[in-house]
Amino acid sequence: MNRKIGVYICECGPNIAEKIDIDKVIEAVTSLNDIVTVERYKLLCSEAGKNYLTEQIKKHSLTHLVVAACSPRDHQLTFMEVCENAKINPYLFQLANIREQCAWVTDNKEEATKKAIRLTKAAIARVRCHSPLEKKEIESNPDILIIGGGIAGIEASLQLAHSNRKIYLVEKNSFLGGLIKNFEKKYPEMQPCSASILQKIETIKKISNIKIFTDSEVQEILGFFGNFEVKVKNKKEKDIESFNVGAVVFATGSSLFDINKNPQYGYGKFDNVLTSLEFEQMNLSKKIVLKNNKTPKSVAIIYCVGRTDKGYCSEICCMYSIKFVRYLKDNIPDIKIVNFYSDLCIPGKSHQKFYEQTQGENIDFIRAENIDITKKGEQLNISYDDETNRKKNCIVDMVILSPALEPSVDAAKLAEFTGVPLGDGDFFAEEHEKLNPVSTSTQGVFIAGCAQGPKSISDTIIQAEAVTGKILSSLIPGKKIEPEVKVSQISESFCIGCKTCLDICSYGAITFDEMNKISVVNEVICRGCGNCVAACPSGAITLKHFTFNQIYEELKEAVQ
Amino acid sequence: MKKDDIFLPKILTFLCNWCSYAGADLAGTSRLQYPASILPVRVMCSSRVDPLLILRAFLNGFDGVLVTGCHLGDCHYQEGNYYTRRRFVMLKKVFDSLGLESDRLRLSWVSAAEGQKYAKVATEFTQKIRELGENSSKNKIFL
Repeated sequence: MNRKIGVYICECGPNIAEKIDIDKVIEAVTSLNDIVTVERYKLLCSEAGKNYLTEQIKKHSLTHLVVAACSPRDHQLTFMEVCENAKINPYLFQLANIREQCAWVTDNKEEATKKAIRLTKAAIARVRCHSPLEKKEIESNPDILIIGGGIAGIEASLQLAHSNRKIYLVEKNSFLGGLIKNFEKKYPEMQPCSASILQKIETIKKISNIKIFTDSEVQEILGFFGNFEVKVKNKKEKDIESFNVGAVVFATGSSLFDINKNPQYGYGKFDNVLTSLEFEQMNLSKKIVLKNNKTPKSVAIIYCVGRTDKGYCSEICCMYSIKFVRYLKDNIPDIKIVNFYSDLCIPGKSHQKFYEQTQGENIDFIRAENIDITKKGEQLNISYDDETNRKKNCIVDMVILSPALEPSVDAAKLAEFTGVPLGDGDFFAEEHEKLNPVSTSTQGVFIAGCAQGPKSISDTIIQAEAVTGKILSSLIPGKKIEPEVKVSQISESFCIGCKTCLDICSYGAITFDEMNKISVVNEVICRGCGNCVAACPSGAITLKHFTFNQIYEELKEAVQ
Repeated sequence: MKKDDIFLPKILTFLCNWCSYAGADLAGTSRLQYPASILPVRVMCSSRVDPLLILRAFLNGFDGVLVTGCHLGDCHYQEGNYYTRRRFVMLKKVFDSLGLESDRLRLSWVSAAEGQKYAKVATEFTQKIRELGENSSKNKIFL
């Protein structure tokens, strides 16, 4: 190929010009092979600069472009656009960073100039090995599958349906609403749950573009962002329905830690030891009574059940346990309540106040360890170590256990057949805990509510809304999806079928072609990290635009 | 000793696009100074850095190779840097068994906010390589 490389060095006002002897750089690269022209310019990223570059490309019929200027994080895209406008492939371009990583960090002008020469030469050596790459566009389906009809799934469905999206909402139970249906009131405002949630459920049923599947489970999700094929099975009627969607939301919620793993609490062995969920149901039925139908005179609430086993704080147990104190006092005003906690977790702008307002006569908060419950006549004896490590006892009529939240059993099943990884506590793993908290490593699959980790109703709604935003901004009707261009490629002739790359890929982008016994990259799923390239024992994998040769030529020139 | 006499090593520095490259840029925008020995090469993820590339770089005359990436748990591609770490440990052993100086290799996690750390690592590693002197194996071994 007859290359015609143009090299342009940006003065960046005084930023580069004062720190680097640009003329020396020009002198050093002018005589290199394939170089047609080497020029300096005052500010290449300006409108005038871009026009100048466009004209230069045309004037010299350049095939490749090298710019020595700022960081590619600043203006790589700017110059790639210039290339496109001037009708050369934008990947036949290389930017040498002689500002952030040269001019600005090197006081000595002579040294900075030498380094700039190395970096510019390296960029030229690299661009010689560049190949043109083409953007791909794929049609996308704007419909959405939401798994889980609890508060997260309901909220996301409603929000997305408002934007005229077709929603498939799949719920394993025969009813919508999830756990929230058991709650009489929400903390801290102590307003009834039913009104708000029932209203949402009624609304959802009326919206024609939300298709609700109850008693159903998702059996298969194949494909990629914009094009997932889904199979949903009705558990009662045994029939299977198939449809296509562009995005998937996991809103599978949570369940309670299995208290049978902690026999010291006597759950299942003694009467009147309840889980928090059983107590919510009892309260909802307006009959807070003991097994013998008498009204309890004293109740102990035990916080943090299973916390040590799970290894995380479930965030909401302290607050709902304090809510139970309110329930109990509202129903049985002279009842005695003892709260056994290990660490009170009451963050947020209104929770501290809620806790303080819940204190009063016959309400004790005791920090305790090593709790053990035994039967004492009709009553229950709680033995515990107090804060001074002294063994103490407390006798009550009823015990409510507030167990840790754990992911719903469906999470593990979904994770298994979709390949979306589970993270801490076996909840679904976010793509990034801080920066991408509702995305997963599988593009187009999102998580909302307790599927991601234990959280309150308000946080669940916030996440459902976040997911809505993510989907609406990335999956746009009529807009084609542009997958990553710089992806891995496997050579059919070099692949030995060892499957090393299959295990390594974080995105499940590589599959195995059983027929030909080789690995194959799904270019739509590949994100182009290049991990598989370094792992491949037979050197069969190439990462486009970061090939061995490109990197090697770049570094070889830098060391000359 | 005149300033020119101070040995300025050539150190190949791989930077991942998302964290370390941004961290190195931040060192620049903060005008932190570090030796001109550092010659940056950008890759999308530190896990792209094939150990063979490092070996080749070394045999081509680099006096040291610095690999930088996101902090563990912060990888833009989930877990690439764990693989980088594993390969790096392995490469050090290979260096030792080949009789090459594995002290000339360094792995460092630099986040996008750690311009200062990048400048510090660059300075310290350059100092270390200065103490080791020029890469004696350059041009002696062919691969």
